[in-house]
Amino acid sequence: MNPFSPANHLILVILTPLVGALAAWLLGSRGVSAVRQSAAVTTLITLTGAVLLILRALPAVSAGHAFAVSEGPWLVDGPFDIRFSLGLDGLSIWLFGLSALLSVTAVMVSWEAIKEKPVGFYALLLILESAMLGVFAARDVMLFYVFFEFTLVPLFFLIGIWGHDDRRRAAVKFFIYTLAGSVLAFLGLLTIVLWNASHTGTLSFDIAKLTAGLAAHPLPMDARGGWLQWWVFLALFAGFAVKVPIVPFHTWLPLAHVEAPTGASVDLAGVLLKIGIYGFLRFSLPMLPEATAAAAPWILGLGVIGILYGALVALAQSDLKRLIAYSSVSHMGYCVMGIAALEPVAVEGATLQLINHGLSAAGLFALVGMIYERYHTRSIANLGGIAARAPWLAFMFLLFTFSSIGLPGLNGFVGEFMVLLGSFQRAWSGVAFEWRSSYLTMAVASVVGVVLGAWYMLWAVERVFFGASRQPPADHGHAPPSSADHGASGDDSHGHGGHGDGGHDHGPAAAEPTDDLRWYEWAALAPLALFVLWIGLFPATFLAPSAAAVRTAMAPGAAAFAARMGAVHGSPLPQTAQADAATTLPGAAIVPSDPPLTAGFERIP
Amino acid sequence: MTQTSLSTFLLAGPELVLVVAALVAYLGGAFCGLRQGWLVALIGIAVAACWPGMELEAGSVVSSGPFTFDDFALFVRRFVLLAGAGLALVQAGDQFRSAVTPRQTPRANSTCEEAGTFLLLLAGVSLVASANDLVLLFAGLELVSIPTYILLALKRTDAQGQEASLKYFFLSLVASALFLYGLACLYGIGGSTSLAEIGSRLRSGDGRIVATAQTLLPVAVGMLIGGIAFRLAAVPMHFYAPDVYEGAGPGNAALLSTLPKVAGIVVLLRLLALGTGGKLGMIALNQGVVGPAGVAWLTFFWQLTAVLAALTMTVGNCMALLQTNLRRLLACSSIAHAGYLLVGVAAAAAADATVGGRPFAGPDTSWTAALGGASATLFYLAAYVAATIGVFGALAYLGHRWPEWSAGSAPRPPREEISTIEDLDGLSATNPVVAFSLATFLLSLAGIPPLPGFWGKLSLAMAALEVDWTAQATPGSRRVFFLALAVILVINAAIAAAYYLRIVAAMYFRSAKRGVQADGGLGAGIAMLAALVVMAMVTLQPRPLFSAAARAGASIAPGAASGLTITPPHAITAPQASTQP
Repeated sequence: MNPFSPANHLILVILTPLVGALAAWLLGSRGVSAVRQSAAVTTLITLTGAVLLILRALPAVSAGHAFAVSEGPWLVDGPFDIRFSLGLDGLSIWLFGLSALLSVTAVMVSWEAIKEKPVGFYALLLILESAMLGVFAARDVMLFYVFFEFTLVPLFFLIGIWGHDDRRRAAVKFFIYTLAGSVLAFLGLLTIVLWNASHTGTLSFDIAKLTAGLAAHPLPMDARGGWLQWWVFLALFAGFAVKVPIVPFHTWLPLAHVEAPTGASVDLAGVLLKIGIYGFLRFSLPMLPEATAAAAPWILGLGVIGILYGALVALAQSDLKRLIAYSSVSHMGYCVMGIAALEPVAVEGATLQLINHGLSAAGLFALVGMIYERYHTRSIANLGGIAARAPWLAFMFLLFTFSSIGLPGLNGFVGEFMVLLGSFQRAWSGVAFEWRSSYLTMAVASVVGVVLGAWYMLWAVERVFFGASRQPPADHGHAPPSSADHGASGDDSHGHGGHGDGGHDHGPAAAEPTDDLRWYEWAALAPLALFVLWIGLFPATFLAPSAAAVRTAMAPGAAAFAARMGAVHGSPLPQTAQADAATTLPGAAIVPSDPPLTAGFERIP
Repeated sequence: MTQTSLSTFLLAGPELVLVVAALVAYLGGAFCGLRQGWLVALIGIAVAACWPGMELEAGSVVSSGPFTFDDFALFVRRFVLLAGAGLALVQAGDQFRSAVTPRQTPRANSTCEEAGTFLLLLAGVSLVASANDLVLLFAGLELVSIPTYILLALKRTDAQGQEASLKYFFLSLVASALFLYGLACLYGIGGSTSLAEIGSRLRSGDGRIVATAQTLLPVAVGMLIGGIAFRLAAVPMHFYAPDVYEGAGPGNAALLSTLPKVAGIVVLLRLLALGTGGKLGMIALNQGVVGPAGVAWLTFFWQLTAVLAALTMTVGNCMALLQTNLRRLLACSSIAHAGYLLVGVAAAAAADATVGGRPFAGPDTSWTAALGGASATLFYLAAYVAATIGVFGALAYLGHRWPEWSAGSAPRPPREEISTIEDLDGLSATNPVVAFSLATFLLSLAGIPPLPGFWGKLSLAMAALEVDWTAQATPGSRRVFFLALAVILVINAAIAAAYYLRIVAAMYFRSAKRGVQADGGLGAGIAMLAALVVMAMVTLQPRPLFSAAARAGASIAPGAASGLTITPPHAITAPQASTQP
């Protein structure tokens, strides 16, 4: 048996972090540096493995096939057929890579920050990495759910043990909130499995088989069938919407982010939020197309509300980390919007935006962590002029800020532009006439979100990095200049917020750029910055491999949407997504006869 | 399928071994100065487990009249012996004695009496599973109750312990009386004390039986389930649990939250089988021969158990949210788990009532349960018992915490039992292995994947969802009822996570104020680690337990595992479906 066959390669990549966790535990007696070095080496090996795997996978995945598929029995008994079934396809390949990449960042940003119980911290971080890789590689419903839920456990401990003041409440709230949503999703998934079983006679949990089975025998969407598809959709929605989070279900997020240690924030914002959107793409769109189509306008609305609400609340924040947490809510709104637009370019944009947000949010959270480590405050009012002391840190922050607000040339622009383009396309020519004004309103409102996003981010950057230095000089605060407690994040004795900030630990040379990035911070940020530029300049590299899978996943939903919009008018719209974008609607008063808006989008990737 | 007649003594060998071991412990303790009562218990359990004839060809039934031995009985017997070994270890390690006064010192060591009584209790649970006679069933149940009173009274002689044992005693008497009344009604309907006989008459469609059943069946079902509800600590007979658990030591609390529940679930499933006839009855059912009385029996059964399940889960979990005392909290959680178990029982009864109502007739009804409620219940029961033994094993091992005492000022106050959640603060620093095990058990009870509790909840939710799966989901229909039950089940799982996490958070997120002594015996530690090993095994490969439960459940209620052929509906109705790729 070839250990480097694609399937074994994938399994090895997923298992490596677990081995690393074990190694970290064994090295526990050698002290902090041994543990963190082993964790760094592990994440680097995993990243290398993941990159090699992705390179091997690209040809097959670009053609729309799954790669590195492996199957092992887990609970195969009687009719039950639950398998350790793994593989990568276009939907998961970049998220899989992102998980491996951000795990390196998570370890690097914790380099100096975590001095207390390092073994547990790094072991949990590595276990979390394994679970994140597993979520995206799972091809079995139960295996997906197991990984999906299991990500909660390490994160619960990471937040609860190494978090800030209110960490216990944040950890428990995060756990309960997410669990309450996902148990309903669990029931929804079981119902899908049973429905498929009652038509095929085998209780298969394989996602591909279920997708095919539900395409052949869709869940009923009428009173006679008890609106089963609706109920299943709502159950899945409960699980995924909490995870994303879509706005009324977002309240766990700011608390969890603010209280989490930087490494956990990076993973949480960078990867875990994406699982929700990934779930919609993997399950709701292909398996429950009619219900998705029926709910799409409302979900689109929630996405737009999320964009605006997140942005407005972010404007009102005084805590830098909280501001970025709310900006996450706002930016995930674009992903929700892109999915719900059910337009190929928008859905592709949303999947790219998942990666973009993963990079920029992780970078920003990492940078906030670095600022907190230096000045022991995250309060915007108490920070200022950091650019003079730490020019590279400021540069990085600006880079990720621009990525986040969508400056052309950086990755955020491509994703947001595609989402907005798709939404306008949908509003212009893809909906029934009576929906058009609502769709246009929503699309326009989401553009306002872009402006708000630039507003709060640039305002914060201006306050924190430029102007007069407001953070405490060396002789202020309770940490003497020679203090050894350099970078004690997670140490609750340091006040932050409105009063007495902790000491600045680098002596009195405040105006010199001595607070600049250290090597491990470079290691955390540079790869992210590289990808920010790469995706911004050559988005096709990342869009092309997933295009086929994304279109396959969304096709049933788009077709159902078109049928639904057509049914409103009495005559069905053309079924293909390309065609319906360019076709006028029967009975439409305004005939959108301008192809330029729609014709070019195919070339964007 | 074979049905063999054998002598009861041969069939009940393991139970008899347990009784003999109990006698050895009693007599040895009284006359030979034997001190190692729990060692005797463990040896007895080991001998019983090695008893020849424990093997059974799948699907066969061996009967001696009052005593029937089938897959179900085999599963329960093995399970009880395994759980019994764990519980004996926890009991041996439970060093708690009420503050010893000089008067009590001479009889402080009562391990032989305790161990003997415990062995009788185990024999009782095992007997219940194989009872084929009303009298034997009741005797078996009493063999569970009476030793429980004695154990409760033996272990703790302080006021709290006495309150616990007295409360349990009186309420248990009421429950036994209710149950006995139900058995009398059942005898009135069936005209026989043999369960097989009653079952076949219920299912026969005999007009006289139907007439009697119309008046007596509701009473019988109500009384029987009411009596069993006490053993399960299910609503409305749940309120004793927190007080009694608090008054009992960890060893007895472990016992109370496992063995009576096992016995109760076993009795419920055996009684449920009256309607289905188990393995043999299903064949008749498959041929469309089932009387209305059998269907009525199952219908009353599922209606009552489903309502109780919903109430029990919710009440138990909501009560647990308010607790600060560890054993009270675990008592409430055990109430909630009784509710989860009842979901499976209700699903088993309802699924079979469906089949009874509409025998496998058309293409739309030929797809039946994949797992079946009975199997799901048994799987969940095993996962629950393993985790519970682990939790109480860990608590017994921890034993006491250091009292607050400044040296020199006063005599050292007596050590304090670990009783509240705060007592576990910072356990991850002081006793990392115990904290890790305890966290694992609690997360399993909460149903976090991939721990065994998750697989249990998966099977229960599956069993509930597939009730009446092919029927139309109209409001008020059985299908909608069970869909709602499944939703209540998973929401309760999320509520339950809140209080389990509180304990985990105390152990991991807080710093220790006063360390624990960890003065419990070695036995409790071994039981804890053994439970941890079981957890790990079921987590990685749930299949062995799963197929054992499926096999056992198949002799109670049908399911795919029972060997009935399942025809996919569209293979029959839609020939064009087969031509599709």
